[in-house]
Amino acid sequence: MLKNRIKYPEPIEKAIAEIEKLLTVEYKLSKRSVALLLLQKDEALLSEIAKKEPHYQEILKVIDETQKQFKEPLSFVIASARQEFALKVEKEALKEKGTEKASITEFLHRLTVNPITGIPIMFLILYFGIYKFVGVFGAGTLVDLIETYFENNINPVVNQVTAQVIPWKVLQDLIANDYGIITLGIRYAVAIVLPVVTLYFLMFSILEDSGYLPRLSLLIDRAFKVIGLSGRAVIPMVLGFGCDTMATMVTRTLETNRERIIATLLLALAIPCSAQLGVILGLLSNNPEALLIWAGVMILVFLLIGYLSSQLLPGKRAGFYMEIPPLRIPKLKNILTKTYVRMKWYFIEILPLFILASVLIWIGKLTGLFDLIIKGLEPVMLWLGLPPQAAQVFLFGFFRRDYGAAGMFDLYQNGILAGKQLVVAAVTLTLFIPCIAQFSMMLKERGTKVTLAITAFILPFAFFVGYLLNLLLTVLGVNF
Amino acid sequence: MDCHNCNRSCHHAGRKHRRRFGFFWQKARKEICEEKLLKIALVGSPNVGKSMLFNALTGAYVTVSNYPGTTVEVARGKTVIHGQEYEVIDTPGMYSLLPITEEEKVARDLLLEEKPDIVVHVVDAKNLGRMLTLTYQLIEAGLPVLLAINMMDEAEQLGLIIDREKIEKELGIPVVTMAAAQNAGINELKERVAEYVKK
Repeated sequence: MLKNRIKYPEPIEKAIAEIEKLLTVEYKLSKRSVALLLLQKDEALLSEIAKKEPHYQEILKVIDETQKQFKEPLSFVIASARQEFALKVEKEALKEKGTEKASITEFLHRLTVNPITGIPIMFLILYFGIYKFVGVFGAGTLVDLIETYFENNINPVVNQVTAQVIPWKVLQDLIANDYGIITLGIRYAVAIVLPVVTLYFLMFSILEDSGYLPRLSLLIDRAFKVIGLSGRAVIPMVLGFGCDTMATMVTRTLETNRERIIATLLLALAIPCSAQLGVILGLLSNNPEALLIWAGVMILVFLLIGYLSSQLLPGKRAGFYMEIPPLRIPKLKNILTKTYVRMKWYFIEILPLFILASVLIWIGKLTGLFDLIIKGLEPVMLWLGLPPQAAQVFLFGFFRRDYGAAGMFDLYQNGILAGKQLVVAAVTLTLFIPCIAQFSMMLKERGTKVTLAITAFILPFAFFVGYLLNLLLTVLGVNF
Repeated sequence: MDCHNCNRSCHHAGRKHRRRFGFFWQKARKEICEEKLLKIALVGSPNVGKSMLFNALTGAYVTVSNYPGTTVEVARGKTVIHGQEYEVIDTPGMYSLLPITEEEKVARDLLLEEKPDIVVHVVDAKNLGRMLTLTYQLIEAGLPVLLAINMMDEAEQLGLIIDREKIEKELGIPVVTMAAAQNAGINELKERVAEYVKK
């Protein structure tokens, strides 16, 4: 027998030998390995041999007979045998001499996971890292700077040049003026979205590389249990604050289909992506109360819908099992490369979309379709207590979440949106339909049926919550 | 090009398709075969530095993070060792050959479908005992395994000393130690890969 081969308990070795004899087809794995996987009831392999092997029934019998000799499931028996072997090797090859350093990271680890210290730490990070750095500095100071520059120096020049070079008003509008490719599409991308998202990605990379995020998962695991998700689901949720599209893809790391559906729904509904979050933070950062109301509504919706969907969807709850990596001091080079790569990927992805949106709006305006949709949306806006101009923001939101948010920013700066309207618009827009990219990812990961069901729920729900919030704020006489 | 190896890596792959496309498939397949690269697959549990190693080997960039489960799709790149080109495949994390999540399924299917010429099992030096169980499963499966013990720097900081030769003797497969983040041990890994594939 090979030296490096694990010797399993006698009954299992016997079963392996018997199954090996019964297997007739060639597999991509060794027969021993196939036999072991069958004993562990590997579903893919079981269905494969059901089709291929003439002695299928006999193999099943061997598995059953073997199982009868153990109290624990065979997969457990096999795993323990392996673990024993592995630990033996480790013991022989590993020497340990304890050092100070280990206890410091251990201490920090405890601080971040213990709810008493962990929750304040979480809020500190959210406040300084996200709110102050991304919201106030990025979406406030930086955006102002670049926006002003655009409006004073670039837009007038572009408008003037196109007016002189292109004689037709229709074509002028495609490039310049209110909805032009340069004056709207590129301005939104460069002036509003770029600074915010860069800072957010930077912050996110630091948190990611330090190893803080998995500890955050551990910390919020309990809250997640309530809504029927395991702590594992924190990964896509946290990533969702970066980009919901990416996060929707990551939901495939969840164990059950049920969890994947709940997570996809929550991502589409209540988790704003970085660009959107940044713009909304910038928008509301002048009104801490407004920001609190927005955050409160989001958390409430998240918990409520999570809870309800976990009650309604059949299936069992999943357990939490996650590797906790060590806390590390992030490497500057890795962080900068990562931020740069994400930035580049993001910018390459959004710029054509922003330009496309400008073109579509141009076509829409030309054919009157745009005005028709806006006219249709206007009553809804009034219903929410919003100015009719807000209709176009929602229309933009279809293209991309951040595009809508950026449009809102624009309205705010022009003094069209004010006071409680801002909160209502922010809440509705956050809940509102996911962007095109996320939508197509949902189709890819969850299939048409689930995606359409989710969308059919989100659309009216978003407006309903907006309506309710407006009503509540009016009745309570809250304004900012 | 060394066609002996390439026959081996092509022989079993695509059986399903061959049935469907019959003669045509066989012919097309053969042509691809002649240019076939040797394949290196990187496997291991989440967050042990597979992506970091992938970047170091290929010079490409896939996002590396200190967060388990960030690679959900397969990345491919190329590396050259002693003038021989290799395709490097980065896989999502897997804990065992018995998959629980979809990402583990992706990793296993990949391992079986691609028939890599060498499987580099990347493990975290700090959690050797827990991770060696997968090494055993890979050996059991009859795959050409090389064990790469990564994060030696962090293990050293914790005061862990690892006897590489002992593990090599116990497992009967080549074992290298490295710290991919510091770019240490990458060349040794390449050497061992080349050595292994030649055999």
